[in-house]
Formats: sequence, structure tokens, C-alpha cells
Amino acid sequence: MTTRQNPRQHNRVAAQEVIPTRQFLTFRIGAELFGMELGQTREILEYNGVTEVPLMPKFLRGVINLRGEVVPVIDLAVRLGRNPLQVQRRTCIIVVELHTDDQDYVLGLLADAVSEVVEIADSEIDDAPAFGSNIRAEFIKGIAKRDNQFVVLLDANNALSMRDLAQLVENQLQ
Amino acid sequence: MSMESALQTFYAEAEELLHNMEAALLRLEDGEADSETMNEIFRAAHTIKGSAGLFGLHAIVGFTHVVENLLDRARAGTVIIDTHLQGVLLRCRDHMAALVADVANGRDSTPDLLQSGDLLLRELMAYLEAPRSDAVAADASETEQAAAAAAQDDANIPPGRADTWHLSLRLGPDVLRNGMDPLSFIRFLGTLGEITQLVTLDDHLPDLESYDAETLYLAFEIDLRTDAGRAEIEDVFTFVRDDSDIRILPPYTKVEEYIQLIHSLPEGNQRLGEILIQSGALTRDSLERALTTQAIINQQEQKPQLLGEILAVQQAIPNEVVSAALERQKKSPERKPAAEARTIRVDAEKLDHLINLIGELVISRQRVDLLAAQTGSGPLLEAVAALGGFTEHIRDAALTLRMVQIGDTFQRFRRIVRDTAHELGKSIDLEISGAETELDRSMVEKLTDPLTHIVRNALDHGIESVETRRERGKSDTGTLRLSAYHDAGNIVIEISDDGGGLNVEKIRAKAVANGLIDPNLELSSYDLHQLIFHPGLSTAEKVTDLSGRGVGMDVVKRNIEALQGGIDIESTPGEGTLFRIRLPLTLAIIDGFHVAARNTQFIIPQTTVLECMDLASLPAVKGRNCVNLRGEPIPFIRLSDIFALAPAAFAVQDVREKLVVVQFGNERAGIVVEHLYGEVQTVVKPLSPIFQALKGVGGSSLLGSGDIAFILDIPQLIELAILREARQAAQAGRKQEQPL
Amino acid sequence: MGKTIMIVDDSASLRQVVAIALKGAGYDVVEAQNGQDALSKLDGKKINLIISDVNMPVMDGISMVKEVKKLPAYKFTPIIMLTTEGADDKKKEGQAAGAKAWIVKPFQPEQMLKAVSMLIAP
Repeated sequence: MTTRQNPRQHNRVAAQEVIPTRQFLTFRIGAELFGMELGQTREILEYNGVTEVPLMPKFLRGVINLRGEVVPVIDLAVRLGRNPLQVQRRTCIIVVELHTDDQDYVLGLLADAVSEVVEIADSEIDDAPAFGSNIRAEFIKGIAKRDNQFVVLLDANNALSMRDLAQLVENQLQ
Repeated sequence: MSMESALQTFYAEAEELLHNMEAALLRLEDGEADSETMNEIFRAAHTIKGSAGLFGLHAIVGFTHVVENLLDRARAGTVIIDTHLQGVLLRCRDHMAALVADVANGRDSTPDLLQSGDLLLRELMAYLEAPRSDAVAADASETEQAAAAAAQDDANIPPGRADTWHLSLRLGPDVLRNGMDPLSFIRFLGTLGEITQLVTLDDHLPDLESYDAETLYLAFEIDLRTDAGRAEIEDVFTFVRDDSDIRILPPYTKVEEYIQLIHSLPEGNQRLGEILIQSGALTRDSLERALTTQAIINQQEQKPQLLGEILAVQQAIPNEVVSAALERQKKSPERKPAAEARTIRVDAEKLDHLINLIGELVISRQRVDLLAAQTGSGPLLEAVAALGGFTEHIRDAALTLRMVQIGDTFQRFRRIVRDTAHELGKSIDLEISGAETELDRSMVEKLTDPLTHIVRNALDHGIESVETRRERGKSDTGTLRLSAYHDAGNIVIEISDDGGGLNVEKIRAKAVANGLIDPNLELSSYDLHQLIFHPGLSTAEKVTDLSGRGVGMDVVKRNIEALQGGIDIESTPGEGTLFRIRLPLTLAIIDGFHVAARNTQFIIPQTTVLECMDLASLPAVKGRNCVNLRGEPIPFIRLSDIFALAPAAFAVQDVREKLVVVQFGNERAGIVVEHLYGEVQTVVKPLSPIFQALKGVGGSSLLGSGDIAFILDIPQLIELAILREARQAAQAGRKQEQPL
Repeated sequence: MGKTIMIVDDSASLRQVVAIALKGAGYDVVEAQNGQDALSKLDGKKINLIISDVNMPVMDGISMVKEVKKLPAYKFTPIIMLTTEGADDKKKEGQAAGAKAWIVKPFQPEQMLKAVSMLIAP
């Protein structure tokens, strides 16, 4: 786990060496499967509605009361350029904790369903999107294949950068 | 408890002491050179040095030691603190603070800092070079001589080998009364080696009638086998040496010296001789021969030979008990410094945690209220009401724990005013009032920057030079006033100067030049004053080191608003300027008025609410968002409008709109809502920075039901309402939506 | 039975370090922040040794020693004064009042432990 190697070199010696892997929480939005590093996720909540905040852009669905903490909820679908997520029976909120821009912050992410926690070896992760994804490249860490389905591994620090999100809110308000 | 936590205590303590030291040094300037002030200054250096030494912080000890020395002399009156020395001491204080800060932040002090420390010490040395140094030198040389003589005496001891020393202890009669137990010393002596012989002499015990239990009559002869040196053995008796007669004879002492010892001690010759023979230091034969020889010499010369010399070497410092009466500390008149009240130090985090818990308690209590109301049970409601009362008391008491007086913050400005005035060549007095006014500690920290900015501006641009003041017929000395008071649930802080006032023409010209206002627009002086809060508008002609470094009044205003407060200006040309900052008492828990518009719930801070009424009951000003309230026009805004709130899906038809009249500073406006739920205590939950750009909302709050409500930022809303109303009035009837 | 030592100093950090050192050596420790505080804490407690600063607010160390010497239960209690280098007059004043032992500030915990063990056993 701790030794990180050049993936190419790694392929040759994989048989003997410990394979560097990372754990991801995978979840579904629409037909797509996304992955988020498990270390960045805190908990998964059943969706019980959100309190809408006036004048916010579509990607900001509102706020929830998370045991006394007021936490913004993001519609990742909108952030990634898809249609807004439709709330269904299995809709849930993934609570993530991020550390960027010199601050720690907590966000909720809407998802259609949470799938599982998977271990993906670094060698299984392709750097560039292999197919015509319309997601901005910096939002993605890489793409991996599980059970014949592509998992888009999100770079949460970029896709959910507090500075960028706040800027989007400001743009909307002007 | 660990050394780490002790270190943390030290940092906090040093900060407080240095703060007091600065305040006391500044008091000297005001002519308060009383002994308590001097003591306070001295004690700061004294305590910091002492504690720093325990932590092995040598840089701090080395520097502070000199400062302490000088202060000690100043306290005794042998050094006078003049204006120059006061300046040096203030810089010394700053240097100490810098050294402590470096240690606290785990970094090495820069060579620059250490060098400036050396320079400061050199300045102090100029004051310390005094006649006393001679006496010290003499003392030192005397001690050295004694040590040299003793060393010569011990020269024949082979080093690093255990050998037998002989000790004759004649401890002073008052040793017991002084809390000293001779057995303790002897026991400790045993830790240096092995006590091979111990003889207690009771020759001096008096008759029973004159016996005093508090007096020590016993004497001791001890043989100690040790590899320790003379210094180590002497050390054991440091605390009793002055009042006692202690002889220490090294191994291989010549027979004559034993004989001298025997003669010089008050007990009988034969008795001591026996002891020495027993210890093996002397043989019976040599003792007897020596005693005989000595006796013959004595007869011939009429005085014991060498005795004086031996005593001079072996007897330590002569007993010299200085009369306490003579040196009794000059008692200063009773004066209790405010900072030394009985207090305990509590970790700020623990306090914040307590306040948070109480916040949760307040929320739970509201939940209980709701549930109890549903049951309709009288006794339950009564009990819940009582619980509510206590909750409120607990909340208030907890909040006061976090309240601090603003005086400390104000005092800091003494230094800034003094230094800045010197730098600018101006003469400026600082007047402080309302120092005892309390506010939330968390707010104090965030207030320092804005206050400093305003104060520096006033010193730099507000108060004129001495020449200009003379031309204008003012006194040479300008005055800066800092005052604080409570007003209707707010704390108000005023910073005023008797300087030239804001130059509205210059502000106007600059605003026009920067394209902020239309050159043809007529603006009231109030509006022109407000312009200084606009980003980028700085009227200082020359950018000095003090202010005008690009950070402007706009930042000050934003900082104040971030604290849910507001800032006003009053300025009269030629007479001066006054800044008035208004802040809530606390940021943690507020009394609010719970309202709703459409589906969204809001809290209006209770302190801003004047009254509520049906909007329809008031005469409207046609075509404008303005009502006539008892003859006064009140502009209003609809929350559903400005927040573009969607109509509720199941909205009851014909909801009667309510007008909540709010006031902030001198401005009034109406907030139109659809539901009034009444007063609640509410815990302020800051909104995520994601919402930073959202105007009109200052934070969020959790209601008893667990729902989230948004706390309205009334100053922003009032401003907005007035602005919109003014435009509507100006453009008479032409409808224009004002985007938020 | 453990011996109890009272440390009197206005510096909380100094008291903390001294207490750590003394407790480490097996003594019990009582803290007081100035002379008056110390006197109030001498109320009937068994105190085997007092270590006190000289310069303190409210009541200084020397005034405290004079008061302690008037208390029948404590007048034989050994007192170590924490003095400052060069302040011989203070030291002498303290000794005249009955505090014969002293340690010069700044000191290391080991120096203090040594002085303590000269006067009392752990």
C-alpha cells in the first residue's frame, strides 16, 4: 500500500510486489458510475429533503442540519454538466470532508444510489478519459473499469473546490 | 499535567505580563511613577526570567536578566527612568515579546532580532554602569581569594578518590527556629559518600530550667568518606553557613591544623582529641606531642600561632545579619491593580465548547416547548416553562464567561498613539472612556484590525500638525478619544479626533476621477462621507508608512459587517471626525424574531425589531415600496421579492402580509413577511463560505423543530430598502427591479 | 507518609514546572499564587516545606515569611526563598525574617530538588 511505483514498471513485477491500491466509494448518478476516495467521505445519509437557500444556482440544492451543523448540499450532476438529479426513493446524500484552499469544509453530495466500496489498483486507473466524456478533465482523477462498467474517479478537490463553488454562487447573484 | 502544557501556560502568562508591563510603562509617562507601577514593571521581567529559566530558554533569560537588573535599580531609586529610558524599556518589552513569540512558534530567532537585542542591552548597560560595580568587583575578588586559599589547602588530595574528610559542625542556636533540621543536613551529607563517624556533642546543654526546646544546643563531629570536593561538601551547609561555625578539614590535613581546630572550638581539648583519634585522623601519640608543643609556644608568644590565618581561610563569611528594620520594604499605599483580581485561566476552546453545548441545550429546550404545547398538559407546561427560565439564565451566565472588558483593547492603543505621534512629530493625547464595557471575546480579536486602521487614519490624516493646528487657533496637542458603551443590546465603540474633519471636496474629486460618481450628481455630505467606505478610494495625498497601504476603509467596513455590526461617520470640517461602530454583544446566541416568507423561514435579530403590523392596515404610498407610519415614510422590502422565493405549492390563499419595522443605527425600514411566529432564542450557525456572496443573510440558525432558518442581515437589508426606495422616488413610478 | 511542599509564586508556569518536578520526586504539592493566598492555604494543612518567590503582587514573599513565623503550627516549617541574582539585600531581608534557604532564579528543577532534599526527605 505504501510503496508507490511507476505503473509501467509496476506491471512487470506485479506478481511479487504488493499492489498499490486505493479504496473508492462508488455511487450512481443517472446511468453513470462515479468513485470518490473513501478517505474523503464521512457518512451516507438518507435523503430527507433540504432547506433551499434563496437565489442559489442549480448545483447548490440547499442546506441540511447535520447534527447541529449546517451543511450545503451539492447536485453533482449539475456540477458535472448533466441535468439536475431527480429525487427518488433511493436518493441519498454522501457527506464529504475536503481540505483545500487552506480550509477544511464539509459538503453533502446528492447521489441516486450508493453502490459499494471497491479497491482499485493504481495500475487499473487510466489517466485520461478513454471515451468521449463531457466532464472537465481536471474534475477527474482517472477512469477504471469494474464489472464491465467504467467508474469515473472524481478529483473532489478540483470538482468541489470551495473557491470555485463560491465564485459560481457570486456569478449567479450578479 | 505535562511540560508541554506548562509551556503553554508560560506563553499565555508571558503575553499577559508583557501586556501589563507595557501598560505600566505607559502609565509612567502620565506621571504615575508610584511604587506599585514600578513593581508591576519589575515583576513582569522578574517572572518571565524565572519561568524562562525553568524551561531552559536561555535567550530569554539572558536578555531579561539585564532588563530585570535595571528595573530593580529603578525600583530602588538608584536609576531614574527618563523619557529616553522609558522608550528603551518599551523596546526591550517588544524584544522580549518577540523572543517569546519565536519560542512559542517553534522557530529560531533571526540574527537581526538577536542583534537588535544586543543593541538594546548596550543601551541598558549605559544606565547600569554605576558606582556599584566596584563593590561587586571587590566582593568577587574576596570570594576568589578565599576559594584560591581553600584550593591550595586541598592541593594534596588525590583527585577522584574517596577519602575521609573531617567536619566540625557548630550550627547556630536559631537553626531549628529557622525551620532547619540538622539531621536533614547530615542525611543529605550521607548522599555524598559514607559517614564513617558521627559524634554528637551535648556539652552545651543547659540546666533543665533554662532549657529552651526551640534552641539547638548540639554540636556534631563528622567523618565523611567521599570523593566529592570541598565545594560540594560546603554546598550542603549553604543555608546554615551564615549563622554557624562549620569547619571542613580535607583528608591528609597536617597535624598542626587539627590541633588548631581543637583549640579553636569551644569544647574541651581532650574531648575533641579523642574524637579525632577515633576517626583515625590523628594518633594518640602525635596528638599529645602536638598539644604539648602548642602549649609551650603559646606560653612563649602569648598568643596562639596561625590561628587567625586558619580562621580567615576556613571561616566563611562573617555572620552579618542586617537589621530587618533598617531595610524594611517601604510599604506603598494599598492599591490593587485591576488585572490582579482573582481569576482562573480557562482554555478558550473549552469555553467555546461549553457555549456550543448550551446552544444545543437552547435548541432542545425549544423542541421540548413545542412538544409540551402539543400535549396541552398544564403541569408539564409549567415545568417546561421553569426549565426554560433556567436555560435562559445558564445561557446568559455562560455568555458572560466569554465577555471581556474592552479596556485592554483600548490600552493597546496607548502605545500606537505614542509611537505614531512621535513618528509624525505630532502631539497627541489619548482619552479613554467606558473601558469597563464588556463584549464577547471572540469579537475583540476581530475588532483589533479595524480599530487599528481607524486609529492610525485619525492620527495620520485626521489630527493636524502642530503648525496647522496653531494656524487654525487650536491647541498644539490633538486629542484622540476611544469610548465604548452599551446601547439597546449593542455595544457602541466610538473613535473620534479633534482634527480637520473629512475633506469632502477631496473625496468628491477622487470619486469623480475614479468614475465612482457622476460629476453632476449632487450628494449630501453624509453620502460623500459614505464614499470613503468604497473600495479603492483613498484620499491620503502621500502614502505614509502608517496607513493608506491599499487596505482601505472598505475592508474596515467589511470586517465590521462580518461581525453583524455597522459603522457610521460624523465629520465636521475643522472640528474633527467621529467613527461609530455598533456591534451585537455576542455572536453565539441571539434573541430573534421568527418569521417566514413563502416556504422559507427567517430570523430577524430581536434588537433591531421595533414593531409589527398588518401591511394592509397602513396607508401605502402609491406606486412605491413605502408606507406611511404615523406620518413617517418607511421604505420596505418583501423578502419573497428580494430572495425570489417560489410560492409554496400548498400556499393558503390570501395570506395577509405583515410588516416588521426594523431599525439599525439611525435608519428604519420595513421587512414584509407572511408569517410571524414570535420570539425565539437561537443559536447562530455560520453559513458555509460558499454563500459568501449572498447579501441580506448573515447566518443560519437551527429551530426547535430541527428546521433551518436564515438570519437576516438587517443593516444590509435596510441599506437595500433605502436605495431602492430612493431610486423609485427619483424615477417616479418607472418600475425597476433592483437585482440583489 | 508523603511530605507536602507548598510552592508560592505568581507565575503559573513556574508553579506547574516546579509541581511536575516535585511530584516526580514523590512529594505532594500545594500551589499558591502569592503570600496572602499561601497564608490562606496554610489553614491547618500539613506542610513540610514552603518554596516562595520574593516578588509577588498582593503580598510579597518576605511579608509572608514574617506571617508564617507567627503561626505556631508553621513556625518551624523550612522556607526556601526564590531570589534573584544580585538582589542580596532581599536575600538578607528574607533571612532576617527567618527564611534561611534560598535558590537563585533562574534555576533548574534539579537545583531545586537538591535544595529540597537538603531540608526534608521525600
